[in-house]
Amino acid sequence: MNILVADDHPFTLQGTKSFVESYGYKVTDTCSNGTSALNLILLHLPEIAILDINMPGLDGLEVAKKIQEAKIRTKVILLTMHKEMTIYKKASQYGIFGYILKEHAQAELEHCLLEVKKGNKYISSLLEDDLIACADQNLGKLTTLTFSERKILEQVANQKTSKQIADLLFLSEKTVEGHRGKIIEKLGLPKEKNALLKWAIQNYHK
Amino acid sequence: MLQFKPTLKVFLSVCLVTLILFCGKKKVDVVYEKKVSSGKLDATFAWLDKSDNFSDNKYMPVFYDYYAKTLNENNLAKAAHVLEVVSSKKARNYSFDDKFVSTINTFVITYQSQLPIEKTLFVNSYFCTLYKDKGDFKTAISYALKTTLVPVKDYNTCWEVAYAFSDLSFCFFSIGNQNLAIKYNLEALTYFNQIQNINGIGAVYNSLAAIYLSSSDYGQAEKYYDKAIASFKEAKDLDNVFIALGNKAIVFEDSNNKKLNALVDSTFNYFNASGLDSPDTKVRIYNRQITSLLSENKLKDAKKIIGEIEPIVKEINSSNLDIDFYAVVVDYKIRNNEVIDFDKLLKNVIPYLIENENYQRLQVCYTLLKQNAIKKNDYKTALNYEQMLAKVLLELGRNANSNKVIELDKKYQTEKKEQQIATQEKTIAKKNATIAWLAFSILIVIVVVIFYQSKQKQKKLKLEKQSAQNYTKQLLEKTEEERKRIASDLHDSVSHDLLGLKNLFEEKATQTNAKIDGIINDIRIISRNLHPVMFDKIGLKESIKQLVERAQSVNNFMITAEIDYNSSLDSSIELQIYRIVQESISNIIKYANAVAAKIILTESKNKIFIEIKDNGKGFDVNKILNNSAAFGLHNIIERSRAIGGEAKIVSGKNGTIITIQINK
Repeated sequence: MNILVADDHPFTLQGTKSFVESYGYKVTDTCSNGTSALNLILLHLPEIAILDINMPGLDGLEVAKKIQEAKIRTKVILLTMHKEMTIYKKASQYGIFGYILKEHAQAELEHCLLEVKKGNKYISSLLEDDLIACADQNLGKLTTLTFSERKILEQVANQKTSKQIADLLFLSEKTVEGHRGKIIEKLGLPKEKNALLKWAIQNYHK
Repeated sequence: MLQFKPTLKVFLSVCLVTLILFCGKKKVDVVYEKKVSSGKLDATFAWLDKSDNFSDNKYMPVFYDYYAKTLNENNLAKAAHVLEVVSSKKARNYSFDDKFVSTINTFVITYQSQLPIEKTLFVNSYFCTLYKDKGDFKTAISYALKTTLVPVKDYNTCWEVAYAFSDLSFCFFSIGNQNLAIKYNLEALTYFNQIQNINGIGAVYNSLAAIYLSSSDYGQAEKYYDKAIASFKEAKDLDNVFIALGNKAIVFEDSNNKKLNALVDSTFNYFNASGLDSPDTKVRIYNRQITSLLSENKLKDAKKIIGEIEPIVKEINSSNLDIDFYAVVVDYKIRNNEVIDFDKLLKNVIPYLIENENYQRLQVCYTLLKQNAIKKNDYKTALNYEQMLAKVLLELGRNANSNKVIELDKKYQTEKKEQQIATQEKTIAKKNATIAWLAFSILIVIVVVIFYQSKQKQKKLKLEKQSAQNYTKQLLEKTEEERKRIASDLHDSVSHDLLGLKNLFEEKATQTNAKIDGIINDIRIISRNLHPVMFDKIGLKESIKQLVERAQSVNNFMITAEIDYNSSLDSSIELQIYRIVQESISNIIKYANAVAAKIILTESKNKIFIEIKDNGKGFDVNKILNNSAAFGLHNIIERSRAIGGEAKIVSGKNGTIITIQINK
């Protein structure tokens, strides 16, 4: 199984290559920029390409995009410092198989390679952490609610009507009603009148 | 008396000019001495040149011999000279005969072309006088005009031209064209002044007086005659003194001046005392004396004088003198109840007068005939003559009109002046128009210049504004670039180095690990705040969404985003929009105390609309903007301006709305 590794930091490149080889894979090519990476991939058609995102010339995302466009079988794993969900979302548009963070590479790279080799996708579990990193560490049940749902619940607790909530939060009344339904569903409340209001007043504290 | 008036007028005028011509010659003799070229005259020539000898019976034969001899000697100049001397004497004495006329004609045909034109001008003046005497003024005029065309070179030509103008003046006066008469008179005066010819000047005064007389301006006429008499006396020119005196008598006659008879009598005595040998002058003065005597009914004295001058008149053989004398005789005969030879009057005189358009004299003749008919109680004939007289008077209309010549002349001058004034006014108006036009042009130029300057100023201001905008934009872009560089440096270098460090310490302490992870995260956050991660790749829409999500999760603040935008703007502009949104959210979280905020980003065909609203407590926009601490708001406004948009901030107790429009 041939693997290509591309990273503009020689130190990281060497480290990654060592790790990959230590897991028993063969690193056929290494390079330090996106353009070389794409050329080598087109030339040698490795089964897996481990790419950094920030590279001179073409970046990792662009290489992934070109591979997708060229319809080559090479599976792309992005190994990056970028923890942002937006970047992952962008990358996933290009049909990548793996997305892992460099800071946790030691822990995740082996598993990732294994999954990708099988044809599965592997996304770093730490990636999503970022989004909810500062979320309320509140009651267990509330964690299932989205941010908007929690905000609506907050206003319900303030005894606001759906209309008032809609006005306050710059939402449509319909949206608020939809959210209320979802909240009731998620919290498993009985289908009776003012069940949500009662629950919110009792359980929701700012 | 009335019936003689016009006759006498013309008669005396004719005499005047003729005699001026003669006396002018005399004057030339005086000036002659000044001429070196004249040379000495031989005895015969000198004899011929002497005026007294003209009446000698041998005069003409001597001349013809001398003339033939000179021609035989081929001395053309001398021949011409002697011919000139004799012709002027003949003309002066109204002694016209066929032989002499044919002699002159032969000279003209044979020799004139061989001589310089100024040497043969006497021919013109001779014929002019000849035809004037015959009353054929048209021909006389044609001869005089010939001379006036000669360029004035010296004394002689000037003299000839001056007299030719005098002749012209007389001719036109005679045929009733007073305007031309005045004109040529003044021309003559100019030339006479050039040669200081007192006789000539006197003659011009005489003519002017005659014109005033014909205009019935007796005061002026008398004044000019006195001037003329003084001039002629100064020149010791007795002939013309008597002519002028005779004319003055006409003035008195016309103005019914009681001094008339005294004047005529004194002139008569003066002439007889002067011993002047001038037959025609004698005839004229005697004629006048006879008329004067007849008016006093001294028929006997009159008849005596008539008898005295009758042979002289016949000898002179001048049709003018003939007819004037005849008129006197007729007057006498009428008064003396004698038979008048009306046949002669009708057959000879009248057709001649008609032919020569001599209407003044015709008037006299018809008047005589009419009066005669009335005397005979032949009213039918009288009526007939009355009708003829009316015709003549009609023809004399010009003369009658000429009574107003001076008036008309004055009118003409006034008109001329008025015309001049009109022309000047026109010129002034034209000038004014030009000035107005110029002023208008200058005004337009000034307006254009001002317009141009203001336009330039506006352009400059616009450019300055644009450059300021560009500067802001560039400044912002540079800042962003710098931030981007720092962000990526932090992210890529520092983080990687720390990563390497972490790997080195991997086995040792998990505590160290956690710390390093913390540092990496901090750097990531710093980096992210400096510049949105991979903004070029992610795009405005996703970046704002992420911004909103992070703001919600970090600050627990409800923000909804409604984005309908498809990356139609340049990345650098997108980044500014991102910054504006970022700044707005930051402001809302920091100051608004709002429950929620909303971000709307929409686009139309050529505009982008951004709206950021919150339901916070609001603020006094003007007050905050004037506050130096309001960096965030100014940041929003300046960034909007830099990307060609405009930010509007409306705030109240129900919250704040920031709207920005950007032209694509």
